[in-house]
Amino acid sequence: MDYEFGPAADQLRSELRTLVQAHIPADFLGAFTDDPADLQTTQAFCRILAERGLLCLAWPEEFGGRGGSVWEQTVVREEMWAHHEPRGAQYMGVNWVGPTIMRHGTPAQRAQHLPAIAQGEVIWCQGFSEPDAGSDLASLRTTAHPDGDAWYISGQKIWTSYASMAQWCFLLVRTSREERKQQGLTIFLVPMADSAIEVRPIASMMGPHHLNEVFFDNLRVTADDVLGGVGNGWAIVQELLAFERVGIARYARCERLLHAAPAALGDEWDRLPSQLRERWMRMLVHARRARLLAYRVVSLQDAGRVRPQDAAAYRTAVTRLDQDSAAVLTEIAGYAHSTGEGERFCREVADHAAYSVAATISSGSSDMQRILLSRALLASS
Amino acid sequence: MNATEKLMNIDLSAEATAFGAAALRAFETSGGDALVQAAERDPGSRAAMVEPVLAGLGTWDLQPLQSPDDLEAAATLCRSAGWWALPYPIAERLARPSDLDIDGLIVIGDGRHAAAVSGLDFRWAATDLAGRRFAATPAPSNEPARTTQFVADLELTPLDAGPVLDVALGMVLSCWTLLGMLDRAMALARAHVLSREQFGQPLARFQGVQFQLTDAEVERVGAHELATHSLWSIAAKRADVLVDALALRLAVLEAAEAILRVSHQLHGAMGFCDESTLSWISRYSRPLRALPYGVSGTLEQLTRIAGRGGIAGLFNA
Repeated sequence: MDYEFGPAADQLRSELRTLVQAHIPADFLGAFTDDPADLQTTQAFCRILAERGLLCLAWPEEFGGRGGSVWEQTVVREEMWAHHEPRGAQYMGVNWVGPTIMRHGTPAQRAQHLPAIAQGEVIWCQGFSEPDAGSDLASLRTTAHPDGDAWYISGQKIWTSYASMAQWCFLLVRTSREERKQQGLTIFLVPMADSAIEVRPIASMMGPHHLNEVFFDNLRVTADDVLGGVGNGWAIVQELLAFERVGIARYARCERLLHAAPAALGDEWDRLPSQLRERWMRMLVHARRARLLAYRVVSLQDAGRVRPQDAAAYRTAVTRLDQDSAAVLTEIAGYAHSTGEGERFCREVADHAAYSVAATISSGSSDMQRILLSRALLASS
Repeated sequence: MNATEKLMNIDLSAEATAFGAAALRAFETSGGDALVQAAERDPGSRAAMVEPVLAGLGTWDLQPLQSPDDLEAAATLCRSAGWWALPYPIAERLARPSDLDIDGLIVIGDGRHAAAVSGLDFRWAATDLAGRRFAATPAPSNEPARTTQFVADLELTPLDAGPVLDVALGMVLSCWTLLGMLDRAMALARAHVLSREQFGQPLARFQGVQFQLTDAEVERVGAHELATHSLWSIAAKRADVLVDALALRLAVLEAAEAILRVSHQLHGAMGFCDESTLSWISRYSRPLRALPYGVSGTLEQLTRIAGRGGIAGLFNA
């Protein structure tokens, strides 16, 4: 056994940290703020990563990547999330929109979209959830009505991250009524600049520009915009989830903030209630546990043996860690000085706490993860 | 394949896994669940019941600190022993230091100096977390095993200072034993909810039951990952091997609390009856959970020893 990443991945981690230090302001807390400079920071950083072949490191070389190993991908995931995701909204295009287009796109779709993603020039959003279709995604109602050689899409999406800044939408809609609700769904790749699309931001504790409603009013699309064939939407959605088995490396930000706490508090650290220091230590153990569970999923994925329950167990652990560590860090931050490093630590912790609320809801709620895991646990052996 | 793919390997060897499976079968063949029940009735018989099986497996040829392969084999052996609540201090025996002429090593804490070693005719040494070693003699007791779970107080005589690696090994192997008990508790809970019907359907159909099981399972698989990591830490002779061992112990103890609570709850009253295997697993897990430190003591020691640096991770390695 060996839990060392090895020199190549270590060098990659070092390179990423150097780039973050050089190009990301120390007080950066992500792209979803009222300060337009933060979005510009992420866009510029994506181009810097792209120039070095780091933005789409996992992609095959023919599509602008460099065929990085699963462990190198893990390093990128960890370093980006630990430092408040300086790729901003682009991680979605990189992590699964691009790979899905590689597998199911037409030559024209590949030529149009993949270079733009690989060069860090485009933001995608995901049009999945609807007011009445959250965890029960297949119940979605947004519909594409055929008319001649086109379809006209009407309906509403909600909780759409990045919609206000995205140029393209990976949109799942109903194209027919079939016996099962999972049938008759189709993916369209649609430009957000179309006047038939209206984006309304939803103010939230996660940041002013994060969540949105998206309304479609007779948006005209054609066969050229269909990804992977009419009626194949559900199968593709299930498949793309495989690209996101591990999802966000939430443990990395937890670890970074937990390890930053003693230095941020300085001498105050030794005056913390001993019970609070012990809770801090407990969170470090839980962070290691979540990280090792992530590595298990990565290892199984690398061997082509990952099962839904492996990812579900990890995600259950890591989302709980996110919230538990936020509670402990928030209490620790209460002892920090309001200037200098202490002040910055408090801002980071507050941001972490706000985001952690969504950890058990976004990208598949923790309840759905438990359902997945229990199905596997209780299946006939 | 590039360099990183060659290096990262978080799997136990196939040989160690096969050895653990062979041990599981051997313990089953020699009595399985009946072993601990017989030992409770006659604690003096337990060595005679268990040692031939262990010898047949080649247990005493294992040198966990000399060979990573042997270390993994020792771990899987302990896990299989835990599955059957094997009435024998297998972790302590496997952790015996090579530089002392003794039969086993017991890790002791600050509180009661004791271990589940009554009724066995062995020469014991004990070590605290700082590596101070003692000759340890179990005090005779008339208490029945049913109430002591073979735990005996130890009379200690100072010896010398030993390597921290020995302390870590003793602690980690006992965690592997406890992990085997948790494997069993989960398997028993699963089987019970699939077969037990209430309101016209198996308990497994109720989401309230399913979610309890999944939460317990997350604890179990998480503890497994830390247990595997701790083997690597010992094999690599990492400087903070004791911190890694304490981190593992904390996770396994927390997992034990969660898993045994859920397993008992789902078993209902049957779970604490002698005719239920869970009752035996649960009772005989107590010494492993309490000694040398329980949850609070382990966390306190971990926090004290690790200090401000915490445990090694992505941002302090």
